[in-house]
Amino acid sequence: MADVKKSLIDHDGQRLGGAGRFAYTAAGCALLLFAVIAASVSIGSVSIGLSKVWSMLGKGLSLFVRSVFSKAASEELSALISSSGESSILFRIRLPRTLLAAILGGSLSVSGYLLQVFFRNPIAGPFVLGISSGAKMVVGLVLIFFAGRIGLISSLTLVAAAFGGSLLITLLVLLFSQRVRNMSMLLVVGIMVGYICSAVTEFCITFAADHDVVNLTSWSMGSFSGADWADIRIALLVCIPGLIAAFLMIKPIGAYALGEGYARSMGVRVKTVRVLLILISSLLSACVTALAGPVSFVGIAVPHIARTLLRSSRPSYVISTSFLFGAFFCTACDLIARTVFAPTELAIGTVTSVFGAPVVIYMMISSRRNREV
Amino acid sequence: MELLRAEGLAIGYGSRIITEGIELSLERGKIMTLVGPNGAGKSTLLKSVTGQIPLIRGKVLLEGKDLRTLSPKETARKIAMVLTDRVRPELTSCRELVAMGRYPYTGLMGRLEKEDLEKIDEALAQVRVTDLSDRDFSTLSDGQRQRVLLARALCQEPSLLVLDEPTAYLDIRYKIELLEILRRMAKEKNMAILMSLHEIDLAMKVSDLMLPVKEGRIPRPVTPEEFISQNTTEDLFDIDSASLRRWYHEL
Repeated sequence: MADVKKSLIDHDGQRLGGAGRFAYTAAGCALLLFAVIAASVSIGSVSIGLSKVWSMLGKGLSLFVRSVFSKAASEELSALISSSGESSILFRIRLPRTLLAAILGGSLSVSGYLLQVFFRNPIAGPFVLGISSGAKMVVGLVLIFFAGRIGLISSLTLVAAAFGGSLLITLLVLLFSQRVRNMSMLLVVGIMVGYICSAVTEFCITFAADHDVVNLTSWSMGSFSGADWADIRIALLVCIPGLIAAFLMIKPIGAYALGEGYARSMGVRVKTVRVLLILISSLLSACVTALAGPVSFVGIAVPHIARTLLRSSRPSYVISTSFLFGAFFCTACDLIARTVFAPTELAIGTVTSVFGAPVVIYMMISSRRNREV
Repeated sequence: MELLRAEGLAIGYGSRIITEGIELSLERGKIMTLVGPNGAGKSTLLKSVTGQIPLIRGKVLLEGKDLRTLSPKETARKIAMVLTDRVRPELTSCRELVAMGRYPYTGLMGRLEKEDLEKIDEALAQVRVTDLSDRDFSTLSDGQRQRVLLARALCQEPSLLVLDEPTAYLDIRYKIELLEILRRMAKEKNMAILMSLHEIDLAMKVSDLMLPVKEGRIPRPVTPEEFISQNTTEDLFDIDSASLRRWYHEL
């Protein structure tokens, strides 16, 4: 009994540990994100000084807030936006693009994390499992077959199409995953499914009329270029509820990590949790695919980096750090994609692959070493 | 006081019945151990009694209430389990893992209150792993892991603790240590323990009741004394007593 008392005193008030490290990591990621956003809005074919960016942003933000209540402010805001070439570039092109990259990058990382929880497999992610390609396929089909008929297709329709495609492929991969328990096999299956989807997409593109394909080719490369405020609105509309839902799942996610048997024995409704994980993850990655096209490796690499930085896998920590770091990562990759070979722009997937794929290779190697195969 | 009662259970997967006609009764503070050959349905029985897999027929009563009428959360506050599932959470400290045991008690976001933290430390101390609290679970030995998993189950404050082959992979020292902890917990916490064991000798030492499980036979609980006097081991594992005696003699 004595040792019971002693340990109670020793640890009284002490939480589970790791909170300090989380605070540093999250603050660091937030700082990186802020820095890269600042860099991204100021660097480009026309470079805008940081102090100028700062003052314009301050003015724009206050006018935007006031424009909700007064019409005069909203007129002033549009005057500010078109007041000079620089402000027009800042508000019409760079700011929406940068913010979209940040929001979608964060969401994609959380989506990948949820898939990893679902499959209890750190190598799972929307891209490697073919889910992004599935979303791309359905979006492609919708663009090719319906664009001509109903004219302009709204971004929300694209999100819905991508969501349908994501779910379709996720269910397919799920079906296979019941037969293969091995993590490398699951990966191979995912990549193959991804190739099949890409093949279908390519096939349709080849035989589609030119004017139907115009939209598709630039989009299917994957890029944040051409992002506008309408995209941001849709991204926020879809991603914020998705992220909140993901955050509300932290408790069952933690229990689920111990395996289904243990989770059930602790009172987790396992089936419900599984369905929710898939739905939220698909919704988030579908939004990304619909608005920016397929973006590779962010979904796997970022949660892994987050866990490594945190040295913890507590869901609340990993979700928030993944979002922040993913936002930073995608914004940085987008900055690289549009500046390094300017005026030629790289596809965003090209850049994220260069940085993300080595992380995945490293994970595969180290997991071979640490776990029995 | 009777805690657990099973009436006319038929258990199995889907519609395939493994065993039927099971009647059980277990009191608080008592240990009942399932013994029998591999594949006889020990795990299935444990999972059925705890509501992890649906019963084909019959019912399980916990403190007089039908288990099926309880919500998952209510059940989890009464029954905790140590399973054979391989648990390998990454980057999770033992304290965090034990803290999962508070799951049925915490709110939507799983925030731990002061009382929960005390319960966690108490559970760690009870299985003597306080010094491992901050270690990463995946770096522990099998014996240490099993004790931490037991602490997690204790932290759930169950009135019925269910363990599926808790001594598998452990060397003899850890086996005895673990069973001693279980004996102590049954007494101190007035908790009923239902488990399966491979080692019949250990089962006889630790149990108040033994439940021989064999396919195609209706299991009936017996005391360890009855178990030995009825030559149940030979019967359970289909070995004739002469060869068993010869084997023990030669040793």
